[in-house]
Amino acid sequence: MKRVIVACGSGVATSQTVASKVNRLLKENKIDARVDVVDLKSIDRHIDSSVAYIAITKVTKEYPIPVINGIAFLTGVNQDAELKKLIEACK
Amino acid sequence: MKSDTIISELVVLDLEAEDSEDFFRKMSDKLVEKGYVKESFYEAICKREAEFPTALPIEPESVAIPHTDPKHINQAFIAPVRLKKSIKFCEMGANDIVHDVRFVFMLGIKNPEEQIELLQLLVDNLQDEELMRKLNEANTVDEYMAALITMKGFEA
Repeated sequence: MKRVIVACGSGVATSQTVASKVNRLLKENKIDARVDVVDLKSIDRHIDSSVAYIAITKVTKEYPIPVINGIAFLTGVNQDAELKKLIEACK
Repeated sequence: MKSDTIISELVVLDLEAEDSEDFFRKMSDKLVEKGYVKESFYEAICKREAEFPTALPIEPESVAIPHTDPKHINQAFIAPVRLKKSIKFCEMGANDIVHDVRFVFMLGIKNPEEQIELLQLLVDNLQDEELMRKLNEANTVDEYMAALITMKGFEA
């Protein structure tokens, strides 16, 4: 199973909400991947084991894996485009 | 999904605030007084909003959903506030983009698992033109609450 990480400012609300929604979307699309909520400070440690990073905070550096816009999943605005990007990354 | 996390004694209509810090000061005083949060809440929420802003770029109006760590919260709540004049909040995930926000929903999250569904419901419903119209036109706290509990997915 492929791993996707998501992190937000406090790890209590937004990242959990987005993880829950994306896990459901991945299941609906029959993608074998799972979204894990991680602490923002420890992103670097999880990068190697993940195929994508769903960002809810401003991204200020380059990552070797695709960065997906997490707000799109929260608001639904532009969600389809970001989901497509995510599914590609999970292939 | 229970709607009783939206606390009617925390609804404020036409609140006047200069900026987000002034807004947080006024709301924090009220929340501390009523026992919902600890004294540490004010500083925590200002700091968090500055570092990780919470304005959502949705239509018809941008809203803000400021919140901070559960350790500052005594009792879970959603405090719906309508500002008399918009104040500036920065966009979540895009800190340089500034929004003029009149509708703020302060989230007092104590148990994330219980409340994430509520957050998603809130964000989905706040993009409904009809609901936003009602929130704009409400004259009393009761009218505002009545509009909020009509949100799709809520049980009264």
